[in-house]
Amino acid sequence: MEVQTTRFGRVEFAAEDVFCFPEGLPGLAACRDWVILSEGNDAAVAWLQSVQRPEIGLAVVCPRRFVPGYRLRVARRELVPLELDTPKGALLLAVVTKTARALALNLRAPVVINLDRRLGRQVTARGSLPMQHELDNTPALKKTA
Amino acid sequence: MLVLSRQRDESIVIGEEIVVTIVDIRGDKVRLGIEAPTEVPVHRREVFEAIQAENLRASQLGAKEVRGLGQPRSTACSNARRG
Repeated sequence: MEVQTTRFGRVEFAAEDVFCFPEGLPGLAACRDWVILSEGNDAAVAWLQSVQRPEIGLAVVCPRRFVPGYRLRVARRELVPLELDTPKGALLLAVVTKTARALALNLRAPVVINLDRRLGRQVTARGSLPMQHELDNTPALKKTA
Repeated sequence: MLVLSRQRDESIVIGEEIVVTIVDIRGDKVRLGIEAPTEVPVHRREVFEAIQAENLRASQLGAKEVRGLGQPRSTACSNARRG
């Protein structure tokens, strides 16, 4: 299988590499099938690339790498479609977004992936976590002057 | 919009599987209990709309914009690939 992505050109993948998000993502409901593009274990950023829409890709990071102590509290109901009983054992990813000043992480609505079942879902965390947690020293913050 | 009057502990049924119950009413705040199949997402509207907007904004990010955080390679993650 392959997709001609807008950002990275042609990407080949096996059917087993695809993660199914049965509901899509909020705002991207038609995007059910995704692959993860990454440089390797050391890269801080990976891309969640839509299979259906070549122009849709979301930069994702491990939130704890940027926000030590980040912990997902989520209603049990949210994890049932992932066939997960607890968040443990799941891949937890924060979507990178941006504000007028900096890159930011959506800590309120992280993506949770069940690697074994190849299932994913964007969940809404309990509590008052920010949807735009601005990152210090991100490229957008660097002064050009 | 369909408008129905309900009292505390009364419910409405949507389709065969969704039940919304008035759990509590205090002043201008109403607490709702929602029973729905787990595959039906349930969101507070303003939160859902904010997530939608954030995802669409995030999907506009270019690869160069996040390069300072790390650089992806254009090959699929192969940890589940089978020979």
